[in-house]
Amino acid sequence: MTEAADGRLAEVTIDTLEKLAFLFASPMDAPAEVDERAFSTVRVDFGGALSGGMELSLSGPVLAELAANMLGAMEGEALTADEQQDALKELANVICGNVLPELGGHEAEFNIQTPYPVPANRPQWNAPAAACHLLLENGLCRVRVRLQDGAMPVPAGAGPDAQR
Amino acid sequence: MAVNILVVDDSAVMRSMIQKTLTLSGLQIGEIHQAGNGREGLAALESKWIDLVIVDINMPVMNGEEMIAQMRTRSETKETPTIVVSTEGSQTRIDRLQRFGVRFIHKPFSPESIRDVVKEMLGSEVFNDRSR
Repeated sequence: MTEAADGRLAEVTIDTLEKLAFLFASPMDAPAEVDERAFSTVRVDFGGALSGGMELSLSGPVLAELAANMLGAMEGEALTADEQQDALKELANVICGNVLPELGGHEAEFNIQTPYPVPANRPQWNAPAAACHLLLENGLCRVRVRLQDGAMPVPAGAGPDAQR
Repeated sequence: MAVNILVVDDSAVMRSMIQKTLTLSGLQIGEIHQAGNGREGLAALESKWIDLVIVDINMPVMNGEEMIAQMRTRSETKETPTIVVSTEGSQTRIDRLQRFGVRFIHKPFSPESIRDVVKEMLGSEVFNDRSR
């Protein structure tokens, strides 16, 4: 894990939350303990220049707010669980699509698979290649990226080809 | 002139967001059709008159790049105005897509970016007077 990769992941996630769903977030330290059952999590697998997966987790109340903002729901309008999951999947898709060029280079091509929900009792990624925790008004957002074969990301602008 | 639009994206939420954005942009819309992947999109193009295609890249079954490539081989759709709305960040792939004559809008997008690109492609006459 590198601080530069974590920073890029946080920047992309904050920007996407704001532009896609009008949600404002700020970076925070990783909580000492996390109850996975408090989160809704989706995973998106990817291949190409880098292979691996990205997990996006939102704590309960944020998910409903995310879906309502993305769909332009009227106040008091209840959205279905499927609509909320679809909003979370699309958020994951956009974050993943934007962060991979930051980690693997802007000329690299990636194939991003369809996001899918994962259960709270899944095996946890203990040493992600990049991770960030964000504080929102009504909860938390966590994003983790894992690369296959222990590959480490080289954030755009931080590698040997970086402009000096 | 009202514009018939086909929105191709595997996310129902994103299709809804694009449809809402187009509706609020002042574009004179005839019908909006939706498809969940490139194959469904091609099927819709065979059965409906479409003036503008808005398509994502990363989709199951058939991705947007394959769909556009097939559109460009068919006489009925080889010149259909097409906008790619995608998270795609690879300049290599974007350059390849632009050789098909498509315009590219990056997700997350602003409502203004979609309106402006549609206006550049179809002209301001397809917008309501107040939006021109």
